Amino acid sequence: MEKKSVWKKLTSSRETSLVIVLLVLVALISVKNPSFLGMQNILEILKNNSVIMIMALGMLCVLLIGGIDISITSSLAFAGMTVGMLFKNGVIHSMLLGFLIAMAIGTVCGLVTGLIIAKGNVTPIIATMGFMYIYRGFAYLVANSQWAGADALGDFKNFALESYLGFGLVNNVLIIVLICYIVFFILLKWTKFGRNIYAVGSNAEAAEISGINVARVKISVYTIMGFLAGLCGALAVTIYASAQPNMQQGKEMDVIAACVIGGVSMNGGRGSVGGALLGALILSVIAKALPLVGIDALAQNTVKGFIIIVVIVLNVVTQRMMDKSNLERREM
Amino acid sequence: MRKKVLSVLLCAAMATGMMAGCGDSSEPASNGGTTDDANANNDASGGSDDADDASGGSDDASGGSDASGGDVSGKKFALVTKSAGNPYNEKEAEGFEDVIKSLGGECIIKHPVAATADAQVSEIQSLISQGVDSICVAANDENALQAALEDAMAAGIKVSCLDSKTNAASRMTFANQAGTTEIGQALMDAVYDIAGGEGEWAILSATSQATNQNAWIEAMKSIMESDSKYANLNLVEVAYGDDEPQKSTDQTQALLSKYPDLKVICAPTTVGIAAAAKVLQDQSSSVKLTGLGLPSEMAAYIGDDDAHSCPYMFLWNPIDVGRLGAYISAALVDGTITGAAGETFTAAGMDNSEYTIVDAGDGGTEVILGAPFKFDPSNIGDWKDVY
Amino acid sequence: MAGKSGRTIEATPQDVWKKRIFSWEGMLVVLFLFINIFCRCLSPNYTVTNVLREMPKYLSEIFLLLPMAYILMLGEIDISVGSTVCLAATVACMATNAGVPFVGVIFITILTGTVCGMVNGFILLKFPELPSMIVTLGTQIVFRGIAEIMLGSGGSVSVTNTAGFRALSGEIGPFPYVFFLVLICGAVFVVLSIKTTFGRSLYAIGSNSRTSFYSGIKVGKIRFLVFTLMGTFAGLAALFLTSELYGANTTTGNGFEMDAIAMAVFGGISTAGGKGKMVGGLISAFIIVCLRIGLGQINMNPQVVLIILGALLICAVLIPNISASLGLKKKKVK
Repeated sequence: MEKKSVWKKLTSSRETSLVIVLLVLVALISVKNPSFLGMQNILEILKNNSVIMIMALGMLCVLLIGGIDISITSSLAFAGMTVGMLFKNGVIHSMLLGFLIAMAIGTVCGLVTGLIIAKGNVTPIIATMGFMYIYRGFAYLVANSQWAGADALGDFKNFALESYLGFGLVNNVLIIVLICYIVFFILLKWTKFGRNIYAVGSNAEAAEISGINVARVKISVYTIMGFLAGLCGALAVTIYASAQPNMQQGKEMDVIAACVIGGVSMNGGRGSVGGALLGALILSVIAKALPLVGIDALAQNTVKGFIIIVVIVLNVVTQRMMDKSNLERREM
Repeated sequence: MRKKVLSVLLCAAMATGMMAGCGDSSEPASNGGTTDDANANNDASGGSDDADDASGGSDDASGGSDASGGDVSGKKFALVTKSAGNPYNEKEAEGFEDVIKSLGGECIIKHPVAATADAQVSEIQSLISQGVDSICVAANDENALQAALEDAMAAGIKVSCLDSKTNAASRMTFANQAGTTEIGQALMDAVYDIAGGEGEWAILSATSQATNQNAWIEAMKSIMESDSKYANLNLVEVAYGDDEPQKSTDQTQALLSKYPDLKVICAPTTVGIAAAAKVLQDQSSSVKLTGLGLPSEMAAYIGDDDAHSCPYMFLWNPIDVGRLGAYISAALVDGTITGAAGETFTAAGMDNSEYTIVDAGDGGTEVILGAPFKFDPSNIGDWKDVY
Repeated sequence: MAGKSGRTIEATPQDVWKKRIFSWEGMLVVLFLFINIFCRCLSPNYTVTNVLREMPKYLSEIFLLLPMAYILMLGEIDISVGSTVCLAATVACMATNAGVPFVGVIFITILTGTVCGMVNGFILLKFPELPSMIVTLGTQIVFRGIAEIMLGSGGSVSVTNTAGFRALSGEIGPFPYVFFLVLICGAVFVVLSIKTTFGRSLYAIGSNSRTSFYSGIKVGKIRFLVFTLMGTFAGLAALFLTSELYGANTTTGNGFEMDAIAMAVFGGISTAGGKGKMVGGLISAFIIVCLRIGLGQINMNPQVVLIILGALLICAVLIPNISASLGLKKKKVK
């Protein structure tokens, strides 16, 4: 077997077309507004979209096994709201405890979802749609018509301001995003569990026959998703210094869109951490750029939707062209 | 074959469902409490129908007077807020409930599931079914409640608004938290004061269709144009954060990077002002903030020094808005007022106990609670635990 | 899982499957009766007149359920319908205010919906690799965005001449017109799905679109048709919704897509495609509407109502699955 040349590898990779799209977007925006490429602006984009970026990792795994989870922002709100109320009522004061509680709640939410899907044989979209209502309802019940504002959150809100995890250079939130991406990159690329996820997504029956416990993989994946949602619940509270029961409502679609733009297949088995990252970045850049380049406030949503459609269509077109040229090369 | 059986079953089921409902409603008092209740309700609403007709007949002023001071105990008063899970709405509901309870009435609070007119229509329809005597609604949309509220009025229910009004055709009167012009003037003066009389400023609003915010922004714009004092102030943009923290943050950051000479942001919305305050304070920006916000949410950002992003802001007491709404509802039900301009009623438990209905300038009428209240570093500590 | 050994599956699928389907729709009918009696006991105001008076707003959502069920049978999903309703309702109001005669308004509204549906259908036809959820997510933002632009800075429009819409929301006895229209459309959709080649090809594509393609079914064309149909009915829904609101704003129709999907799923129509019956979807729609009206009348916290609906949704799929697996186990024991 001949080793693939770097060039070939590059042109046949899904991510290349995405990088091009991202670069074109950034270039266009920078022409309009040169400050866009400033360091501070880039950090702001990353921080303000860290929740979407982290959840895209969990959604990547869920999509890889051919599932879907639209309950994530509800469990995020449930976890975030609970922590917010605990701080507000003075039950807890420790930041670490706040994060742990949020992650625990998220994990339990994810575990329940996973059990219902894997053991109860409920189609993922139905199960998670049900839990979308249920967990959101819990968030409202926990909130009891109150918000936890900056004053009530005490030191907890400082986590997103300080940078001791990044040795004073990079904001804590970004370090957490970075850690999540490294962990998931390793998890999916070099561990047995990662390979099992791909195996289940490509062909669940074959995976079952070859000795993989499909149900267990499914449960783990939804539990991981829940864990990340819980983590993001705590992060969202500290980033915006506010816990509201309707927080991040509807953003689950942004997370799914980020993955799909990043080339993750909704039928399972295909997708990568890099793709999810690029997809999330493209969405973040669009959201950030729209008010910057002077598009009328009322037209911003239309333009955003239009760009999303164009990006996914472009992605398909370049993919088709690549497949074609790869085929031609093979024929030669 | 089976399909036929099924469809027959379905039809039968629906028919029996209907019959069951019909039968129950037509035969009186067969199973104790519940039907008795139903009859009582019917009687009550029937009674109020009559009263309505009577006062309607002699609409001009004196007609209502003999009914004034009438008893509202046992009547049902409903409040439909903007949405669930919002402390501001909850405080309004609290005030409303207090007053109704103290007057001896029965109070129903409906928080719609989302802040949309669609959700409020369902709630109003449900209240009509329950035969309430009065509905007070904080409208999510000025126009889209008209059909439902007309149904309610046709059923003899007294309809009023609080906080956000509907159009004139679908309300009797409106408990306005503060006059639109007063709010516009207060905010405009705050911007003038904080900016030092000149420079660029921007507005961060809620959604593009938020009725109140649009009215206040319009008021600010017209005040700015009409008075040459504000000639050196330059409104550069009205941005919409859709009352989402994330989008409001994006919009605030965009304002900062787009307009390096920006001096003041005015955010007349509770979510937007908190998000903007956080952005400005975290960046130690020289841009300052004012607007309308909840003291409990904003306490950490209010201060005169450079470490705080908001020198002062305004709001009214949402509990009092709820109270006023309740007194208006009660006065409408007992016949003290009909909602015409010039009528007066007393709100016993409030600071300014005598209120007068005035023309709202949109073809309808309103009752104004008072001037907006200023929250600054000296009093924020007292209020942050109240609402 | 162990029950997957060839034999048991080969021998019983027909019986088990038929039984399950039959019992599910049967159960739904029983549940419908039960919910009505339950609500009647809870609320003294749960009378036919009141329920029918509250119903029209919900009925416009049932218009969305009908084609949504077809889309789910195909194994697709359309989350842009709420926005389509918003856009069509906006167009309806603006056309009325511009002095277009009411017949013209009806035509324009339905046309707007149809065009939106065609846009979805067209993108999916040209790029079959794209998942419908993402395409309709994009168009969801665009359609509502266009409505936002049309509505301008006020974000809201009211109908100045409500005569036409008032006529549309009229009643025969206690029954609103829209009630009959929903029943007629429902009947047509049921018949279409079980009596025609079109209906059978829906199930075929949903079960396996590749096989269907090779066996000569025009997969792309049918998909285009169904998405267009979805748009048409979204236009219809917008028309009746406007006759309940006399206005439109940027939040009109928000979340309708999820309501419609939930109704269909609760009726046993699988989002995995190829399964379920139209009748079930229709009954479950009325169950959900009645439950909402009933719980609304006892002023239950709307979030708790959502929790109940969510739990019902999961149980609707979970219970038959569990009972089926228990049944399989029993047989194995024998």
